[in-house]
Amino acid sequence: MSSTLTDQGPVRSVRLAARAVEAVKVYGSGDASVRALDGVTVDFEAERFTAVMGPSGSGKSTLLHCMAGLDSLTTGHVFIGDVDLTTQSEKKMTLLRRDKVGFIFQTFNLVPTLNALENITLPLDIAGRKPEQSWIDRIVSTVGLADRLTHRPSELSGGQQQRVAAARALSSRPEIIFADEPTGNLDSRSSAQLLDFMGAAVRDFGQTIVMVTHDALAASHANRVVFLVDGRVEDEMADPTTDRILDRIKSLGGE
Amino acid sequence: MWRATLKGLLAHKVRLGLTALAIVLGVGFVSGTYILTDTMGRAFDNLFSQIDKGIAVQVSGVQKFKGSGPGGEDVGSAERVPNSLLPQVESVPGVRAAAGELAGYAQLVGKDGKAITTGGAPTLGVTSVRDPDLSQAVAREGRKPARFGEIGVDVGTAKKHDLHVGDRVTVLLQGPPMRATIVGLFGIGSADNLGGATIVAFDPRTAQIALNGGGRWDDIVVAAKQGVSPSDLRDRIAAILPRGYEAKTGEQAAQEASDQIKKGLSFFNIALLVFAGISLFVGAFIIFNTFSILIAQRTRELALLRALGASAKQVRRSVLGESAIVGLLASVVGLGFGFAIALGLQGLLRGFGIDLPTTTTQLLPRTVIVALLVGVVTTVVSSVVPAVRASRIPPAAAMRETMPAEYQRSTRRTALGLLVTALGVAALLTGLFAGKGAALVGLGAAVVFLGVATLSPIAARPLARVLGAPLPSVSGLAGRLGRENAMRNPRRTASTAAALMIGLGLVSFVNIFAASVKASATQALQQTLKADYAVIPSSFGGGANGFSLEVATRLRIEPAFSAVEEYRQGVFGYQGSAQQLSAVDPALLEKVESVEMVRGSVGALHDGDVLVYRQTAESNHWRLGQTIPVQFARTGRRELRVVGIYGDNRLLGNYVVTLGTFDRNFTAHLDSIVLLKTAPGVSDPQAKAAVARVTREFPNVKIDDQAQLRAEQAKQINQLLGLITALLGLAIVIALFGIVNTLALSIFERTHEIGLLRAVGMARRQVRTMIRWEAVIIAVFGALLGTAVGVFFGWAMVHALNDQGITVLSLPVRQMVTYVVIAGLMGVVAAAFPARRAARLDVLAAITHE
Repeated sequence: MSSTLTDQGPVRSVRLAARAVEAVKVYGSGDASVRALDGVTVDFEAERFTAVMGPSGSGKSTLLHCMAGLDSLTTGHVFIGDVDLTTQSEKKMTLLRRDKVGFIFQTFNLVPTLNALENITLPLDIAGRKPEQSWIDRIVSTVGLADRLTHRPSELSGGQQQRVAAARALSSRPEIIFADEPTGNLDSRSSAQLLDFMGAAVRDFGQTIVMVTHDALAASHANRVVFLVDGRVEDEMADPTTDRILDRIKSLGGE
Repeated sequence: MWRATLKGLLAHKVRLGLTALAIVLGVGFVSGTYILTDTMGRAFDNLFSQIDKGIAVQVSGVQKFKGSGPGGEDVGSAERVPNSLLPQVESVPGVRAAAGELAGYAQLVGKDGKAITTGGAPTLGVTSVRDPDLSQAVAREGRKPARFGEIGVDVGTAKKHDLHVGDRVTVLLQGPPMRATIVGLFGIGSADNLGGATIVAFDPRTAQIALNGGGRWDDIVVAAKQGVSPSDLRDRIAAILPRGYEAKTGEQAAQEASDQIKKGLSFFNIALLVFAGISLFVGAFIIFNTFSILIAQRTRELALLRALGASAKQVRRSVLGESAIVGLLASVVGLGFGFAIALGLQGLLRGFGIDLPTTTTQLLPRTVIVALLVGVVTTVVSSVVPAVRASRIPPAAAMRETMPAEYQRSTRRTALGLLVTALGVAALLTGLFAGKGAALVGLGAAVVFLGVATLSPIAARPLARVLGAPLPSVSGLAGRLGRENAMRNPRRTASTAAALMIGLGLVSFVNIFAASVKASATQALQQTLKADYAVIPSSFGGGANGFSLEVATRLRIEPAFSAVEEYRQGVFGYQGSAQQLSAVDPALLEKVESVEMVRGSVGALHDGDVLVYRQTAESNHWRLGQTIPVQFARTGRRELRVVGIYGDNRLLGNYVVTLGTFDRNFTAHLDSIVLLKTAPGVSDPQAKAAVARVTREFPNVKIDDQAQLRAEQAKQINQLLGLITALLGLAIVIALFGIVNTLALSIFERTHEIGLLRAVGMARRQVRTMIRWEAVIIAVFGALLGTAVGVFFGWAMVHALNDQGITVLSLPVRQMVTYVVIAGLMGVVAAAFPARRAARLDVLAAITHE
């Protein structure tokens, strides 16, 4: 595993937003057991946009869920900043998700009874914190939804809904945002708008984003791509382009 | 199709259980009521056939008027049999022995000096019959009373009040009280006691004095010689009887005695069934709601079935079939539950001292049929609308993303709701004001509830918004989301609340009605009562309708009082229906109360005359000087001449006669109340001391001044109110299950959303708070609707009973607010289980759940 990391060339002196160390996740037991994660060690640098790719069943979603504190490891450790998630209580984990982590899911990202703005400030409202108006204004103008803020989710298109979700993930200034196939249900134009916004969040606001995707075009928006196969990190690539990613996938015998 | 139905049912056991619970409780109540009353009825059948076994023939006066008063009051007994008839009966060939029997008021005074009271059962004095075949009593200890100063007491009463053979006790009678020694204890057949009554036995001669026989017997019981059949003997005896008397076989007499008691039981049966019916009605709302939600949630599944070729009819049948199965299962469980309720109620009655003769618990086929039918029909009928809705799901819905349709305010629904409400109101008002009977009133009330339930979704969103307005500032986001959730599906919120509305509507109605009765009574007393004191029975439901005439006789000797007015009450028949009358001394009446005479005068009232209440006179078109035909149980048809018509008067009721008229036409002579006016210059302590001298010997009476009298009335009303509210409690509990059910189903539907909230950092506590507030809003919404309907019912009822002396409409605001608050708290209770479930949702499973 460590040999893969040395491929990366000179190590920059950057802060790590999150990392997994020898992460193992086994579902079931006995003959029926499945090793979804088979000893994953990976770092996610702060203020970078990382894509995690891999074929179905490669464990990429499991990794994301475990990194985000939604699921627990069988063995190994995951860290958000300096906090080891594997030692946290359910209560602390909830607070951590609330204050340090942002989420964008593939679907069902919004609370149907709240309007767009209320959905954006949801994590702050849960914490009972006052949103910082200038910050919210900035996110809203970047995401391009200023005229849709009082609409309910049912009155927004799929792409708009996902951009609201992305804005929500940013609103509490988390240490890291995890996105699970955020473009999976979107057409190409909506996808591009969302990915542009995510890119801008990293570039302009210094956000850290980890995105699971199997779409090479989506992954090409990232600064770095990590390839997972059979629950292991097979390879990674810095400053990816769509063609390079597709080539690498072919060589990995993937999808 | 059937397989899909069954599998669907089995897949959701919790859901099934919660739905069924409403029916289980309702059916349990229905079957429990039947089982209990059947068991009691059978017990009395057994008892009477047992104790009357040796009696071949019974001779008694013909009951000239049967029926009972508006409150179930006894009409009194038939004319008594003269003693001279006894030797004539004895001389009929085939008669082995004959004896006269007498029963009347006799109340024991306990060791603490207080009169022994029952929970409403009679306090009886009876004759001790020597011949063992003819005696209903079976000596258990000691011997039968043989002379003046000796009594026997039933074993049950003796045990309960620690009385033993050899004890000297006081017995209160129609005349002066009597001191006597207990010489024996007896059972009634194999039972220790007769349904909670206290029974004192006297030897025949003493009974004549103690029970005011006046040389007559209630009946003569006859034993036959060997080989003479009861029916032959009856015919032989009947042949020698003068007019107005009849002979029955012992078997007939026992059956009649038992039927008489069973008639009393049927009142009880109907009263309980009304409450059971209310519970089922509430249950129907819950089933309707549950099935509606389930159908909405299964839209895709049902559409898939349609896409695969199932017809609309098949889908409809599948839903109805599902409900029939749920109804059947729930009814069977409910029947078992009813058994438990019946046993529990029997225990409860025993706790109140109403000891029933033992028998096996009666589960008649009728009970089983009614229970199953009621359960299945209620369930199926309430799922008709959801079933039709299910059959209208287009096959294409299988392919669509299912988001529950946004609620649209439909004018059709509004029109329908208004129409149904109007029909209900019309039926209710017709029933109340045109006097078309309780059934129409009940039906009208049910229809009003249905109409309001149909309309309530319109109010659900705005009301939930207003009710939940303070929540965001009180409990932040959780409060805001709770409010939003209560608003998001107004139809669901409304029909969940509707179940509670019914319970709360009825509770606030009875509260308003009771408060109005109290207020009216107080006002009437203040306006009409001139007397300073009233002597009344010391305990409500003391068994007898009154107390000894001796009390008034002795009070009259006291110089402290310038007027001592007796009131007696009885029931008579007019055109076949039972009416209540009061009897007074007209010379004293206007000294103790003010009577507003519209026509004629109180002074014109003599024996054979009657004063009539204005409304009664008007509705019967009676004029002064007219004679009206009436019937008395003892004397049969009589005519009374109307000599006066009076205005509103709570103390007198609708008819007033003289004490002389009363005594001639009723066998039992007891005062129900004695009003006292103090002589000038007599102080309160002096007056009370004078009464105390008299009541020392009559522990069954007490003296009240005006304020105490009012408090006394309020207390009686409150007791009844408490009982009714407790019985309505079941309907409210069922409504709570409805809230639990709806919330649990809604949470299932919102799994994703809750998972998302948890993922972005909502704590479990906040999730619970959110669901709790939703429940509170639903509950308070239902309670408010119910209160509104209850106020209307109360208003209507009070106006309808204006001519019955209920003239004041009183809204017990504090109580009503309390009930709404309690409803809110019950919402919290109902939310406990769903909230826990929601908080425990596995976050990852919830967000990845498809």
